[in-house]
Formats: sequence, structure tokens, C-alpha cells
Amino acid sequence: MERVQISTKKLDLYYGSAHVLKDVTFDIYEKTVTAFIGPSGCGKSSYIRCINRMNDFIPSARVEGEIVIDGQNIYGPNVDVIDLRRNVGMVFQKPNPFPMSVYDNVAYGPRLHGVRGKEELDGIVKRSLMGAALWDEVKDKLSSPGTGLSGGQQQRLCIARAIATEPEILLMDEPTSALDPMSTARIEELIRDLKQSYTVVIVTHNMQQAARISDRTAFFLLGDLVEYDSTPKMFTSPEDKRTEDYITGRFG
Amino acid sequence: MEGINTRKRLEADLAELKRMVLRLGKMSEEAVVKAVWALKHQDAKVAQIVLDKDDDIDALTGALDSACMHFTARYQPLGEDLRTVTSVMHMAVDLERIGDYGGNIAKVAIALADTELIKPLIDIPRMVEVLSVMMDRTLFAFDIGDEDAAREIFAKDDELDDLEKQIMRELLILMMEDPKRIEQASQLLNVARTLERAGDHMTNVAERVLYILTGKTVKASEFRRPKER
Repeated sequence: MERVQISTKKLDLYYGSAHVLKDVTFDIYEKTVTAFIGPSGCGKSSYIRCINRMNDFIPSARVEGEIVIDGQNIYGPNVDVIDLRRNVGMVFQKPNPFPMSVYDNVAYGPRLHGVRGKEELDGIVKRSLMGAALWDEVKDKLSSPGTGLSGGQQQRLCIARAIATEPEILLMDEPTSALDPMSTARIEELIRDLKQSYTVVIVTHNMQQAARISDRTAFFLLGDLVEYDSTPKMFTSPEDKRTEDYITGRFG
Repeated sequence: MEGINTRKRLEADLAELKRMVLRLGKMSEEAVVKAVWALKHQDAKVAQIVLDKDDDIDALTGALDSACMHFTARYQPLGEDLRTVTSVMHMAVDLERIGDYGGNIAKVAIALADTELIKPLIDIPRMVEVLSVMMDRTLFAFDIGDEDAAREIFAKDDELDDLEKQIMRELLILMMEDPKRIEQASQLLNVARTLERAGDHMTNVAERVLYILTGKTVKASEFRRPKER
């Protein structure tokens, strides 16, 4: 029986007067890969930014409704947002390693959360780089700049950085759209491995990617969650005509 | 806009796949209809034409298979497009098999062309009429996307089964009356059985058409007379 990790209930998001997400209700299950698809501006990236409360940084953003993670509404009173962001890692479309060494990139998050001991940090860095399938390529150059790696390696470094704080949830906003096909394939393989340990939510414009790597897919359109179902079902016989039209390229 | 042009190209290619299926269906239908006509009228020449055309049916099936592979590789289809191309590949197998059956019946027609028939053939031609209606309606349902037309043919398969049983009863009586009739009666029984199997293949095709249109797996047994125990 799958356990619900993230339960969204009647979520509305406004940027000023713009109603960006409308009455969104659905559950994301533990240790699965959930893909969000939909045309530009449909609200899928805005939604994942609600999960780690990155929308808090937008002054005009207003959230109504609930997102419940592990039994706690993350928009409730007394929520430790720092701890939330430790537990919900994020990887962005354009790899963005910090201007520091490979080692320091990965150690940054744990250090911020109070880890000081060198042995402990060494262990975290190694584990995270191994978890991101990057260890073998960088183990002899941990002190070299993170920005000196190739695009695909930089993105895996960002994934290592995200998992260093041992989150339960990983958010990925089009993580491979800036990468070449080989790097994309490696990251997709990595995502398949990552779901053994993390709940992965991935926004993608590439429907074939969603079909390849996700267990469930959610289709957003103009702020509405139109359809949410198992990936094989979504891509072979969706229930909603708007979903059918989108996945067959009639619009979007 | 690039996306819309790709969609237009996909639709044009999909339409060509559908045309190939309809052509294959027509060729296979013609094979069984002509073969049974040749059997009834003891015309070896017409039967031979059926046999000669079997290569064309095989060639078209091969071309359709390749076209489906290329379509899948080019477009990585999803949704109804995906259901259509995968179903077309299955349907081609069923339709080609019916074409083969036409060849098998033609061989019997040639074998019996110069022999006195043990009875005038009434029910075998009736079977091929029912089969012909099944094929026309199913291909029509596929062509224009009509779910109801596809569902109609399941009951027709019951008619085919009934006719086959009737033929078997009659031929059994003829065989018991005179053992010299056994060889020919067995051949005619085989023809009836072949036509009944062709009906089963068409119900497979109809199931596929319904899958394309509805996204749901439909079994013919849901619409047919319950099987006798």
C-alpha cells in the first residue's frame, strides 16, 4: 500500500491578482517519481515552488489551502521553513553550482544545518556524490571548482548538493532541458535510482521523458490540475480530451 | 508553427496507415469471397487467381508493418495515436490470416473442381456472406471511428458459429450414410471451420477498433451469446 508523502488540498496560488493555481487537490506518493506536464505558464513550476515555499520570496504571492507533508500542513503556523527546505531539495533547469569547490558545494547544506566534523562531512560528501553517480569522476578533484565541470556533471553536482541534507523529497524543475542527450540519459537513469530513497517530483516539457521515468503524471493547464493518473494510463488512454490533445501535440 | 506542422504530418502519415489497413482488409475479404465462389461453382481458374494474389496480401502486410515501425520511430506517438498504430499492427496479422484462409479454401476448390459435390453448397456461401458483412462493418467502423458499428459484429460471429454447427451436423449425416463421402465431407468441414476462424479474427479486429476509440480493452464475449457448457 503506497504511503502519501505530499497531500495537496484545495490549493490556490495568486501572484497579485493573477490566479496561478486553482483549487488543486491531489496526493503524491512516497518514493515514486511524479512528472508534471503542461504548456508554458500552466502553473506546474509555480506548484513545485509551493512545496518548498520558494514562493515566499515573491512579495505578491499568496497561498490558500494546504500542502500536508508527513502529517503537517507546511503553510500552517509555527512551521520551520528552514527545516522544510532541508527536507525538500531542489534542482533547477540550468545547473547552478556555487562558485566554490566540488566538496564545498556538497558540504554547504550540511554545514548550514550545523554539521562541523570533518570526518562526518567527508562521509556526507562521498555518499552524496555517489548517490548522484558523480563520485568516480570527481573523487580525485574534490577541491577543484564546481563550475569547471561539464554541464551534465554540474547538474549531477547540483543533485548531490540537494541530497546532501538527506531530504525526503526532491523537486526537479526541467533538470535535463539544458543538457545534451547523453547527459540527459544519465540523469534519467539517476532519477530511476533516486526514487529508491527519495520522493521525486519532476517538471518536464518532454513528454517522452515523463513517459520514460515517471510512475504518475499530472497534467496542468491554465492553473487547473486537469488530470492525474498512472503514467502508462495517461499516455495511452487519458480520460480528459484536453490531456489527449496536449499529449498528441494538438496544442502546447 | 513547427508543432502544428508536425501534427499535420503525423495525421497525414496516420491516414496512410489507415488506408493500407483498409486495402489489406478488402484484399483479404475478396480472397475468401472469391475462393468460396470458386468452390461452389467448381471453377479452378478463379481459385488459382486467389492463390496467385496471396503474395500481394503478404507484401502489403509487410509494408504495413514497416510503415508502423517508421511511424513509431518518427513520432513516438501517445494517446489515441499510440493506440492506433499498435492496434494497426495487430489488425494486420488478423487480416493477413484471413487472406491465407482464402488461399486454403481455394486449394480445396481446385481439389474438388472436377468431382461431383456430395451436396449443393448453400450454407458455406451463407457463412461467407456473414463474414463479408462482418469485415465490411468492422473496416467501416475503423475508417470513420464508429463504436456502435464495431460492437454489432460480435453478434454476427454467433451467426457464423451456428452455421458451422449446422454444416457439421449435415455433413456428419452424409458421412454416416456413405463412407465414400468422408474425404470430401472432411474437406468441406475444414472450409466451414476456416470461415468460422476467420470470424474470430474479425472479432479480434473489432476489439482493436473499440480499444482505439475508447481506450478500454473490450472482450467480444461481453457482447456475445454465453458459451454452452
